Amino acid sequence: MGSLRRIAAVAGNTFLEAVRQKVFAVLLVFGLVLIFGANYFTEFSFQEQFKFLKDLGYAAISLTGLLVGLLGAAQLIPGEIERRTILTALCRPLRRWEFIAGKYVGLAFLLAVMVGVMAVAVAGVLGWKEAQLIAREGSDPAVAAAIRAEARDPRLIQAVLLVEVKLAVVAAVAVFFSTVATSTTFVMAMTLMVYLIGHLESVAREQWLESGEVVSWMTKAFLAGVAFLVPDFNLYNLIDEIVAGNVVLWRSTLEVIGYSVVYIAVLLTAAWVIFEGRDI
Amino acid sequence: MSCAVRTEGLRKEFPMGWFRGRVLALEGLDMEVQRGEVFGLLGPNGSGKSTAMKMILGLLRPTSGRAEVCGYRAGTIAARRQIGFLPENPYFPNFLSGAELVRYYGRLSGMGGALLEKRILELLELVRLGGEAGKRPLRTYSKGMLQRAGLAGAMVGDPEILMLDEPTAGVDPAGSREIRDLILELRGRGKTVIFSSHLLEQVEDVADRVIILHRGQKLREGRLEELLTRKKEWEVNVQGLKEEDRKELRGWLEKRGAQVMREGAPRERLEDYFLRSLPEEKRR
Repeated sequence: MGSLRRIAAVAGNTFLEAVRQKVFAVLLVFGLVLIFGANYFTEFSFQEQFKFLKDLGYAAISLTGLLVGLLGAAQLIPGEIERRTILTALCRPLRRWEFIAGKYVGLAFLLAVMVGVMAVAVAGVLGWKEAQLIAREGSDPAVAAAIRAEARDPRLIQAVLLVEVKLAVVAAVAVFFSTVATSTTFVMAMTLMVYLIGHLESVAREQWLESGEVVSWMTKAFLAGVAFLVPDFNLYNLIDEIVAGNVVLWRSTLEVIGYSVVYIAVLLTAAWVIFEGRDI
Repeated sequence: MSCAVRTEGLRKEFPMGWFRGRVLALEGLDMEVQRGEVFGLLGPNGSGKSTAMKMILGLLRPTSGRAEVCGYRAGTIAARRQIGFLPENPYFPNFLSGAELVRYYGRLSGMGGALLEKRILELLELVRLGGEAGKRPLRTYSKGMLQRAGLAGAMVGDPEILMLDEPTAGVDPAGSREIRDLILELRGRGKTVIFSSHLLEQVEDVADRVIILHRGQKLREGRLEELLTRKKEWEVNVQGLKEEDRKELRGWLEKRGAQVMREGAPRERLEDYFLRSLPEEKRR
């Protein structure tokens, strides 16, 4: 109970700090403008319009979430060390793992709120487009039903969940690097690097393994090492499938969520082990 | 009853980086602070004062030696419950107000509910940040107000010991006096206060005992009375002595072989004593 209260205090403070900083509000506005702006591209068929809205909406959520995650990560532990505010926190009866957990929960909650707000905005834009299209083209009940099916696609909830867990993994990577780093720039650069490698690793693996060449044990060991250390961000490409209108099983979605939870747990445990022995 | 803080052979070396060796910050510090004492850690910059404090708090791991707080191993949760800490030049989360800062630190100490809210009001009054001042963001505070807000935060868990690292650094004389008065008030409440300072006059005003550190080594330790009193001399404070009686008294003393060194208060200023304690090259 005591631990929960202390974790909640650190998480609440992390979230409050972000909310009271203008940069996060500006990023949120940027994401919302992108989402609402998409509604003005109307030169396509209604199926294409909805696909475009969903594509741009989820791209805006992912990009804004990534920027928020990186900026938020930079402020986690190195930011507190640079500002020396960490001294007045860790001298309390607060365990270091509670501090790490609180920082992570605060950042993950911030990302969840931002994704939630932008997802509601995407739903709003889709609803707005639905009303416009039905007013213009919905005299035929079959067309009206098709428009409604496109606008109110329940699979979009799967997409929101996947964006959410993808950003939660990015936040865990950032927390991990923030326990070893001494500068905010290092944390942002390393997190971004892992994000990019995570997107490229499966492509590289397929290229090498399917090229027909005999792969040396060193290459295999290297690929296995990268696959073990870096989360495979291509798994979240299910979002693209959903946005494209393809069926993605809930089971697949839950498998990706499970994979993410395991990675988050491993990263946070490693962060705790490193941070436990660190001089402040 | 165990003492408030005890260290035995406390030593800290910091690595300088790959192939660059290590730097010694504190060398085998033995120290005992009794409960209810106001204890001063003195020394120039880099003497090891902050390092010693951080090891007692568990923020730094000793290279060797040990530290105890009220009988608990330093750095454990039980030990940290006993200490409130105000670091040197603290930078608090400036997006919080004074009251929010104390609430945050209270929650980190495991407090909550009506008890915490009552404690926040009490402490803000104690450090003279009650009313509207406590609701203002910390970024609008003066240095003195920040230090007082920090003190309130340090005291929120009602710790037995308060550890203040240079509490008056950068604070104007009036603010310094306020902090000095607060330390005296805390002593009156039976708290143990350990503080470091380079403002020696203030140390002299409030400390019961001091340790003087230099380059990580303990140079002197003792009660201020013992350290600053010239034991071969004798001082009598008299009121209402007439000029002719004074001259007669002096003659009487000299007739009996006593040498009158000077008349007046014989006590040396701490600053002079401190400088005299330092090695020759550091005095210049």
